[in-house]
Amino acid sequence: MARNQKNNQLVGESGESLIDYKNLELLQQYLGETGKIIPSRVTNVPVKQQRRIAAAVKHARFLALLPYCDAHS
Amino acid sequence: MRHYEIVILVHPDQSGQVPAMLERYRGMIETNAGQIHRQEDWGRRQLAYPINKILKAHYLLLNIECDQETLAELENNFRFNDAILRTLTLSRTQAYTQPSLMISQPDSDTGKDNDSESTDTQKTTPSASNQSETPVES
Repeated sequence: MARNQKNNQLVGESGESLIDYKNLELLQQYLGETGKIIPSRVTNVPVKQQRRIAAAVKHARFLALLPYCDAHS
Repeated sequence: MRHYEIVILVHPDQSGQVPAMLERYRGMIETNAGQIHRQEDWGRRQLAYPINKILKAHYLLLNIECDQETLAELENNFRFNDAILRTLTLSRTQAYTQPSLMISQPDSDTGKDNDSESTDTQKTTPSASNQSETPVES
């Protein structure tokens, strides 16, 4: 998948970050099939954005909005 | 005064207490000159993984502005409220007043289901019944 083409969706039109733990559709694109965060070397996400994605995913996981893994009962 | 964003997961069997809880928290915040900028009820949602063998929770979102004493009081209140499964408090730099993404574009696959259906499924779940009778702090 040409993931680097999609990374412009991380920032909104007025420059604000769209990365948020509530933006599940966006975050799910940066999770693999097992629920792991995909490394930025694969997705070509800038470091700053990758840190925000990682933090947002972890908040969403804590709130059970996203799974930690695919082995939850 | 600082801005905070709080997400609360309420036990699905205690959903009826949600309006009273929100009223109490509003009172606590406003008596200390704080303000609630955004208050959302995401309803009962399927959890991505079971918490205390519970599969659904009632989600609430609050964006508030208050001082640190009030926040500590709120968090203390959350901790001793048996109806609350989990809370997340984040500090924010500004007041958020627009509806969040959870309300404006409800996602299809993680699915928020309608209340009547989820009430039925919860009543038939034996695992959830243990905690439902525990009284909530005053």
